[in-house]
Amino acid sequence: MTCDAVMKAIPLYYYGELAPEVEDGVEEHLDQCDGCRAELERQRAMAAAIDRREAALPAGMLAECRHELARAIYREEAPAVRRTASDPWGLFREAFLAMWRPGIRFRQPAGAVALIALGFFAARFVGSWPGGAHLASSFTPDAVVSSIRSVQPDNSGHVQIALDETHRRIVSGRFDDQNIQRLLLAATREQDNPGVRVESVELLKDHGGSAEVRRALVEAVTHDSNPGVRLKALEGLKSFASDPEVRKTLAQVLLKDQNAGVRIQVIDLLIANQDAATVRVLQTLVGKEDNNYVRMRCQNALRALNASVGTF
Amino acid sequence: MIEDAAGAVRARAVSKVDEAAVIRAVQSGDQDAFEQLVRAYDQSVLRLAMNLLRSPEDARDVYQEAFLRVYRNIHTFRFDCSFHTWLYRIVTNICLDHLRKRKVRREESAVVDTAEGPVDRMDSFEQEGPHSDPERRLWNRQLGSRIDAALRDLSPRERMVFELRHYQGMRLRAIGDVLGTSEEAAKNCLFRATQKMRVVLGDLV
Repeated sequence: MTCDAVMKAIPLYYYGELAPEVEDGVEEHLDQCDGCRAELERQRAMAAAIDRREAALPAGMLAECRHELARAIYREEAPAVRRTASDPWGLFREAFLAMWRPGIRFRQPAGAVALIALGFFAARFVGSWPGGAHLASSFTPDAVVSSIRSVQPDNSGHVQIALDETHRRIVSGRFDDQNIQRLLLAATREQDNPGVRVESVELLKDHGGSAEVRRALVEAVTHDSNPGVRLKALEGLKSFASDPEVRKTLAQVLLKDQNAGVRIQVIDLLIANQDAATVRVLQTLVGKEDNNYVRMRCQNALRALNASVGTF
Repeated sequence: MIEDAAGAVRARAVSKVDEAAVIRAVQSGDQDAFEQLVRAYDQSVLRLAMNLLRSPEDARDVYQEAFLRVYRNIHTFRFDCSFHTWLYRIVTNICLDHLRKRKVRREESAVVDTAEGPVDRMDSFEQEGPHSDPERRLWNRQLGSRIDAALRDLSPRERMVFELRHYQGMRLRAIGDVLGTSEEAAKNCLFRATQKMRVVLGDLV
């Protein structure tokens, strides 16, 4: 083979995609030709550099995607094919095993999951019916309507409404009860109620050290819209502050969180364990921080770490 | 170690057999089986989308859209190709749509403007070794930006073939099956992609 032909074949040779006879010819040529061997080395160096640009999945992203998919499928599924559970604990257990154990379950009991996953619909229709309309006899007064599927008027002045109905229940148990823990994990995502989120994060941080709890706390710190919830979750992450994935998340939070109190708490958590990445992120923050106090805390932290305050 | 590897091979062989059973269960409406199927593939799907699109938001969209399409259309799967191929046809189509739209918009969501010029969001938290010095960091950043620019300059199809071969380790024949083209066409695509990358990165590697 000529040098020209081998040079052209090198990318496919590198990926092992040449026909065996062509590959033999390339190898024979490479044994004798310094120039083509150097070209192969350049191909390897380029591939190694490109390898290093592989994007990492942010912590918790896969779990979030699974959760969102479960919700999307729940919304798609016709109500008729959803299972119903009879006893309350069975129903809750099914629902929360479905939602929160490591994994996803797509067939979810309508009542319990609607109460949590579609909580934003809840309470909107509780109590008296808008406009003082009469309820059908089968409609229980303490019901919560999670969604209305169809509305069909007829000529006799009646209207037929197909709806999904849930019921509020009180469940109690010990903190170490797995069902209670799963309910608490679910409550950290209760969209409409920051008070519930704060309470549940507070309880979880004091009564659980599992990977599931850690994930929920990281999720709250990263995505919860309420700074009170984020601060509570940060308290809970103290015991995980040396975990590399948690530290990576904290670094991201430090640079993007709008709340100065949150940023200060993150600085305290990060500097408890020194590493090069912490110095780098603190130096970045000093350059962009608007809040004088946070900037000062950041500068003090860098000095305590014997690092320069700015980047050059 | 050898036993571990042999165990992994056995597990894969068994899982291939099981997979057909799982798919049949999904087709008959078993949603636990659907969960099992999703969990077998979703991490690699998300990695593919994230690496191709360099945007967590877009990668999430691809993930959800892809598995919803699987959910809606699994009854049409007839075992005339592997499930992996069928799934990746769906995923690559959605990703290609994203890449094409991006080409039109000339938008690169992973790049943000800063006072120091455009910076890739992916760089923000890149781990630096304890001995990394400012010169080395600058060099790495330049090389990284150049690689990203080179990847962006590829056509969507070249980018996809390069992604599937280089990062996902798929053979060109399988890539051809996924993209509905021949092995030869996939080979040409990979060749063009590597040539373009070499031109852009020439003096840095």
